Amino acid sequence: MTKELANKWINKLSEVEKDLPLLLVDGYAYTPRIAVNEIMNGSVLGARLQALIEMGKFGTSSLEEQAIAKVRLQTILASKPQDKPLFATMSNKVFTPAQLMEEINSGTQIGQQWLNGEISRMSQIVRVR
Amino acid sequence: MPALANTFLFVEPDDNYLNYASVPLHQIIEANKQAGQSITELMGVDANPAKIKEVLSTLNPLVFLGCGHGSPTVFTCQNLAPLLHAENSQELALMKERIVLLTSCLTAQQLGPALVDAGAVSYAGYQQEFWFYIGDEAGASRAVNSPFLAEFQFITSLLRGKSTGEARADQLAKYDEEIAYWTTGEGKNHADSSELAQILNLNKSISVFLGEASVSPSPQAGALEGVPISPAIPFAIAFASVGYVIYKTTIAK
Repeated sequence: MTKELANKWINKLSEVEKDLPLLLVDGYAYTPRIAVNEIMNGSVLGARLQALIEMGKFGTSSLEEQAIAKVRLQTILASKPQDKPLFATMSNKVFTPAQLMEEINSGTQIGQQWLNGEISRMSQIVRVR
Repeated sequence: MPALANTFLFVEPDDNYLNYASVPLHQIIEANKQAGQSITELMGVDANPAKIKEVLSTLNPLVFLGCGHGSPTVFTCQNLAPLLHAENSQELALMKERIVLLTSCLTAQQLGPALVDAGAVSYAGYQQEFWFYIGDEAGASRAVNSPFLAEFQFITSLLRGKSTGEARADQLAKYDEEIAYWTTGEGKNHADSSELAQILNLNKSISVFLGEASVSPSPQAGALEGVPISPAIPFAIAFASVGYVIYKTTIAK
């Protein structure tokens, strides 16, 4: 992947997505925006981040995936009006962002469903071409 | 008596947030119904068990699509009134010989397989929670409709004459299309694009199809469009009629 391609990758992402943690190197999580900055600067870290993007991987163990997914969901949900119902299910349940975050923090089945979904989404994001 | 081809029953409750499903469903039916199809929509208070059973008995539709809250063993309609229980053989028999689509949570765990075991042609539904977005009024935006545009692609394809297997493939492709819309497409900078893509991902991952993949409830839309009139047409119609009878007999077994 050239620097131009890294730019092309990040330009396809939403503004929100550019600032969510996605790529992990040596225990530190990097957002797409930071990753592309590092790549543009030609740093050693940038080369490692670039390799992850090229491989379509985010460089984590499954435990780390869960942790990053949780941080991403916390960031996304914390930015919403906390008391407005935004999500519903066809089992007659309604959730505000705060209630959904509580499910995730408590590790309920619904919370786990969202965590797993977020991991799957991270995979999609890093593979965007 | 075998279920009637080209005959569709839609159950569209509007309480307990079910209008988020029934509003786009009605629009999709209007946009995709074909000449010659018998379509019945039970909406709002008419989406009750007594009325549904009456219409099932009188119309005998090949296709049944129900929107309603669900659990592993129960499918409900308006006012959360139960219509189908996995352990009730009389209720399961209501869906015998039909293509059954349940826009509902969790029914793929027990109710869906029980319906197919009891003779339904096929079943499509969800293994876990089916999620949707309620940030706007029902039907008011692409965001609230998006999960249902993917879910109802199945019935869109059936209305246009495709088989159950083709409709299923179209549904999965529509999920990908909607996910791409919120991830890298025009919707990517919507305030809730991440959650919308997330919801679509979740729903796709727990979507289930069981049963017969080769049944088409209606002729292919536009199948005869552009075909020049020829003296052979009366013979073709005769053969088609024979084929239709064979088809009905086949699906009735």
